[in-house]
Amino acid sequence: MSDSQQVLAAALTACAQGDKAGLRRIFDMEARRLVTVAQRILRRHDYAEEIVQDAFVQIWNKASQYTPERGSARGWIYAIVRNRALNALRDVKRWELMDTDTLERFQDASQDVFSVDLLASLEQESSLRRCLSQLDEQKRKSILMAYISGYTHGEIAGRLRVPLGTAKAWVRRGLASLRECMA
Amino acid sequence: MSSDEEAASERADSYVLGLLDASDSAKLEAEMETNSALRAAVAKSRDRFLELDLIGSEQPVSPGLWSRIDTSLGKADVASSGDQPRLEPGNDNRLGRWQKTAYAAIAASLVFATALTYTLVGTSRPQVIAILMDEKGVPLVLVEDFGNTSARITPLADFSAPADRSMQVWTLPNKDIGPTSLGLLDGWRTVTLDSRSLPTPHEEQLYEITLEQPGGSPTGRPTGPILVKGFGKVPR
Repeated sequence: MSDSQQVLAAALTACAQGDKAGLRRIFDMEARRLVTVAQRILRRHDYAEEIVQDAFVQIWNKASQYTPERGSARGWIYAIVRNRALNALRDVKRWELMDTDTLERFQDASQDVFSVDLLASLEQESSLRRCLSQLDEQKRKSILMAYISGYTHGEIAGRLRVPLGTAKAWVRRGLASLRECMA
Repeated sequence: MSSDEEAASERADSYVLGLLDASDSAKLEAEMETNSALRAAVAKSRDRFLELDLIGSEQPVSPGLWSRIDTSLGKADVASSGDQPRLEPGNDNRLGRWQKTAYAAIAASLVFATALTYTLVGTSRPQVIAILMDEKGVPLVLVEDFGNTSARITPLADFSAPADRSMQVWTLPNKDIGPTSLGLLDGWRTVTLDSRSLPTPHEEQLYEITLEQPGGSPTGRPTGPILVKGFGKVPR
């Protein structure tokens, strides 16, 4: 993990110097995973690839801004893809290009992400795993729905059939407990 | 942990989870550039959740994806690429982060000043005015919608669209009608578009300009990247 972080940091430095091999290295290491992350948010493979395509252009243009102070190299790269995907999702919802039924169906289909034992897929020694497992189920679910599938507070409330204020409180308290647990 | 740090961490988490709306996200991103505590909180939050991105099975990628990326890089080198429209800066200063906030304020005062002009000069009065801003919050276009007749589009700053794209103006009169085209801009200058077929515009009506394939969107709905967007205000 830390080795690959060093390789990615070096690849970003190469991008900043105009060396396309650096970008290609990031692509070879991360593109499939990045498309996966974007698809969890956008639910469509073609949209996900478009987002990743744009994100790589942005990584190339912004690589010189990366410093370790901004977190791990992988975290920085993933944040670019996640932000683009989340923005695209906001745009899609705003125009309601997907009718509500379709959107519901997509979200139902993505529900299985939450029903499989996600925690079990995390590394045994992961502190995220330990701390998530200490949360109430609703708080854990709310946080995972937001992070993994880009659900809004309103969608979390609708999906878990609770008032908006309750969903917001679950997320807020869950996040506070996680911060404390992982500090 | 101080209460300031706690507040920064809470905002950072909401941002990283995608729970902030578009404008709050943009605000936070701008603030992050000057506020090192916030930047550190975001960095920590990203790395706290990153593991979740790495679990589960991976999707395959299309064989052509790398070459599409490679091609877009080439375009970005030459001029402005299709998906990354570049604003031509009015001077040599790089756009300071603090300026984004300032631009929002300028946009608000522009609406006010424009409304005042109609009152004073007695020119025909639009039913709504919208200032359309790019993703950095820079006001680029003024829309004056005169209701069931026409809408006037006035550029406020220089911009060059990629030669291979058409700029198309859209509005969202209501959810039943959905996004509707007001027409194509054939250049970056003041133009009047026909809005006769649309209902009377209202407060908070959405306007935006997207970059579409030549001749406009093939679907009748916006499909390309958004260049600018903004919401209508009724002049008071």
